[in-house]
Amino acid sequence: MKRVILSAVAVMLFAGCSDSYFTTNENTERPLVNIPRVLRQSNWLSRGSGSCVHASMMSLFRWQGRNNTARLWGQRYGSGEDAQGLRAKMDANGIRYAYVTNGDVNFLEWACSTRRGCGITVRGGVHMVALVHLDSEWACLLDNNSVSKFIWVPRETLIAEWKASYGWAVTPVYTPAAPLPAK
Amino acid sequence: MKKFCYVILAIAYAVMFIGFVGAYNAANGADVSANGVIAEARVINLPVDQAKWYVSVVGDTKNARYQEILGWFSTNKNLVTLKNQVHYCPVKSSDSIYGARYAKNVKSLPTVRVQTSDGTVVYEAAGRSIPMSAEGLNGAIANSIRPILPWRRNHVHPKPCPNPGPDIDINVDPDPQPLDDEGAPAPDGTNGPATALAIALSILLGAGVGGAKQWKKTYKV
Repeated sequence: MKRVILSAVAVMLFAGCSDSYFTTNENTERPLVNIPRVLRQSNWLSRGSGSCVHASMMSLFRWQGRNNTARLWGQRYGSGEDAQGLRAKMDANGIRYAYVTNGDVNFLEWACSTRRGCGITVRGGVHMVALVHLDSEWACLLDNNSVSKFIWVPRETLIAEWKASYGWAVTPVYTPAAPLPAK
Repeated sequence: MKKFCYVILAIAYAVMFIGFVGAYNAANGADVSANGVIAEARVINLPVDQAKWYVSVVGDTKNARYQEILGWFSTNKNLVTLKNQVHYCPVKSSDSIYGARYAKNVKSLPTVRVQTSDGTVVYEAAGRSIPMSAEGLNGAIANSIRPILPWRRNHVHPKPCPNPGPDIDINVDPDPQPLDDEGAPAPDGTNGPATALAIALSILLGAGVGGAKQWKKTYKV
């Protein structure tokens, strides 16, 4: 009996300790844009304002293999940003990017299905987070104000929030990180 | 009074024109101000590359073998073609992403890994198991891919002659294009005779029908 109880305790203790982060059991990683913790850029204060747009772009640059661009971006830019300002900076640095400011959900679908992800406006347009997953039921966000965890929300809730926040979405267009090997 | 009416009419037309242009722009999603944000559509053609495969070449930048393999993807014609068809991911062991996504699932360095878009590994070689030449690597990748792509299964490959003469093409696998899975696969050369037969039959049929019509027309049968 003692052995059974000890085994049960051991099973409970080690549940969830598999190497699932390093390989996937299913043939689809969730979130699709599974940005590792070490690549996530936290928001920072610059000239009295947050830098959520730039932080989101830096995380996406790193995910798309542009480490040097991310580093330079962080050195050059900060503070609040709008669509026109970001566009000017992207153009000035020769960045390949795509964006919408018309709330076109197809853009979000494209960004997530190609595993690139995108920055999207939320909270009425005063904040930008990274959209890292969108399927028929769920959306997943990486908030630069709290980069330690992904935030899952129902798809319709996210779309409603985004459309009520100017519907701005933007992403660099480079090569996304390869998927984890499926078992 | 008449002049005044003309002025009013002109103003009315101008207002109508402005309204029409505004409505047109709104309908097309262009230049509509939304709280200071200019609403615009996408600015580039978005790449439809969801189904693209991934080729990762992972290694230490100080390692000569890794540099050599990276070089193959710039100098070998077939590997360059492959590189242009997939998401090509050269990964340095000093990169943060290596520690986060590769360190625990590669056997050794350097590693060459080919994955489908969902992460399934279709070819992986690490360290000494990587072929010694660019042509060898290309052939190994092609051999791994062939069984899972139906239109490549029966593809006949020329065998290299043990003592190749000057006229023999020593490129063992000249057309490794199986990764172009975004469209209909190009027909293999094995369908050549069938295609030629179909074309010949079409020409004969066309000539027959045309001749018959002309005969009827000429002799009013």
